Amino acid sequence: MSNNTHGAEGQGCSRRLIVLEQREGVLKSTSVDLWHRMQMQCKGSGLSAVLLGPVDKENPSLQLSGPGVIHHACDERLRRYDPRLYRRIIGELFEEGGFSELLFADTALSRDLAPALSVRLGASLLSRCSALPEAGRCHRRLYSGAAEGTFVASSPRAIVTVSPSSILLQPATEFLPDILPLAVPAAAHDDLPSIVRQVVRREGMVDVAEAGVVVAGGRGMGSAEGFALLEELASLFGGAVGASRTVVDEGWRPHGEQIGQTGKSIAPRLYIACGISGAVQHLSGISGAGTVVAINRDSHAPIFEVADFGLVGDVGEVLPEFVAALKEFLKMQ
Amino acid sequence: MKKPLSSGFFVVRTKEENPPMMHIAVCVCLVPDTASVFGFSDGTLDRSRITEVINPYDEYALEAALQLKEQFGGGEVTVFSHAPRSGSEALRKTLAMGADRVVIAEGEGSDSWQTASILAHTLTSWYSAALPEVILCGRQSTDFGSAEVPGMLAERLGLPSVCAVSSLEGGEDGVFRLEREIEGGAEVLEVSVPVVISAEKGLNVPRKTSMRGVMEGRKKPVEIVEGSPVECARVGLGALLPVSNKKNCHFASDARALAGMLHERGLLQ
Repeated sequence: MSNNTHGAEGQGCSRRLIVLEQREGVLKSTSVDLWHRMQMQCKGSGLSAVLLGPVDKENPSLQLSGPGVIHHACDERLRRYDPRLYRRIIGELFEEGGFSELLFADTALSRDLAPALSVRLGASLLSRCSALPEAGRCHRRLYSGAAEGTFVASSPRAIVTVSPSSILLQPATEFLPDILPLAVPAAAHDDLPSIVRQVVRREGMVDVAEAGVVVAGGRGMGSAEGFALLEELASLFGGAVGASRTVVDEGWRPHGEQIGQTGKSIAPRLYIACGISGAVQHLSGISGAGTVVAINRDSHAPIFEVADFGLVGDVGEVLPEFVAALKEFLKMQ
Repeated sequence: MKKPLSSGFFVVRTKEENPPMMHIAVCVCLVPDTASVFGFSDGTLDRSRITEVINPYDEYALEAALQLKEQFGGGEVTVFSHAPRSGSEALRKTLAMGADRVVIAEGEGSDSWQTASILAHTLTSWYSAALPEVILCGRQSTDFGSAEVPGMLAERLGLPSVCAVSSLEGGEDGVFRLEREIEGGAEVLEVSVPVVISAEKGLNVPRKTSMRGVMEGRKKPVEIVEGSPVECARVGLGALLPVSNKKNCHFASDARALAGMLHERGLLQ
């Protein structure tokens, strides 16, 4: 990595462009977190960000604190993900602004967008970094979490996607970023190769990859009906329900809730594993979790080796008691 | 980069009288079986105790290709893999499942960009007249899990791509209706061929290989293609460090005590 890109002073912050993401008019919490982590690393030097599509719920500058500018293309055509327009707008802003690093939160959108953009911009791609890169280096777990690799960008330009963290930052600055309107090019939509027609929302539940608290169940839950208890437990925290691979393969829960190697990687501050033995494929998905709590009948289950707190018992018997006790403590607070 | 000539399945590739044939390419990589023993020495994976298998996500891609071939009553499914030729035995499983041939693209390359470049070059030279209607990949490999190659490959070929597809329908008119899981829901997309699609778990259930399939697979061709131009790597990988997630677990005597422990640590918010 060239020295001018990641110099000691403020990590070359003025040449880094953050992509903020909205879905259905709501600024994503992972984007807000990325902005604030960058503020921390850049120590008050102004940041640059780009936001595509309207944000309805709250003015974006009120959700993001710290100095900087947000190039906001507030166009209805960008409300839904349009691969061609998104690539074009972000790519052109990156080129014209003379940026050298493009940062995304690791999401379904960035996983679609970043690889194509890296080819277009001739940039190194560092995906799913466990934290913001330092001096052009980032780290990621490999081989089902058995090892950590250090990745270094060797092109003058880099695209970085950053995994969510279990520690959310509380911004402590009075500055608010400036919003600059960004014009959207007239699209040649005569022969659209791909278009998002519709977004189907699952109502009521937080996504397992974004939740601050995740309560997951494994084969030990016994049946699909057994998950009603976990839903109740998750709702106490405003959290999400997750599932092990066995549970998804049995058809008890949808794949969108699967945690682990062929599912999602999660980074909640609190993870409660119920009736999950802890196969290596499952453990690879929870390496980013903060406090891990395990409840399992088998005291030798591998899940206890990675847990902070454990309880040996049958989930069907101990969970109702656990939920009742939690309710009491929550009432006291 | 060559532009595809066809825009739909039933656009004839050559203006001859032969019936049009659908071409489907599936990109497959080999990964260590997760049941293997993962040891690391000198900053690299100790491969002596590793068995290599087909990347599980690539099996969803291959199954989707085989189902398309059945749906359209014909076509050719070709598996492309950037692998050493010693990988041919493991790759024969794709032939046993029903693929028509395997093409091993040899060449120096370690990062996603080099792999995508070698695959792009191999595909354009293999299909000299027109790129295949559908190129399927797995969403990611289970070893490095960067999920970068399918999108890079598509951009190198000048094709649209849709990653992490969990449902695939249609195609009769050259347009697919796809679904992709996103945070808190799903996106419904339409895309016209030619296209690069990467497969998410849940897209289908890959078929098991039968004894007959294995026997037939033995007779199908595995071809080696070498000489792809070598691109410079764009990402360097430093030494691998083994990681342990082991913690010292505090056991609670009963459910109420467990709740109390969480309460004391300020975890109930």
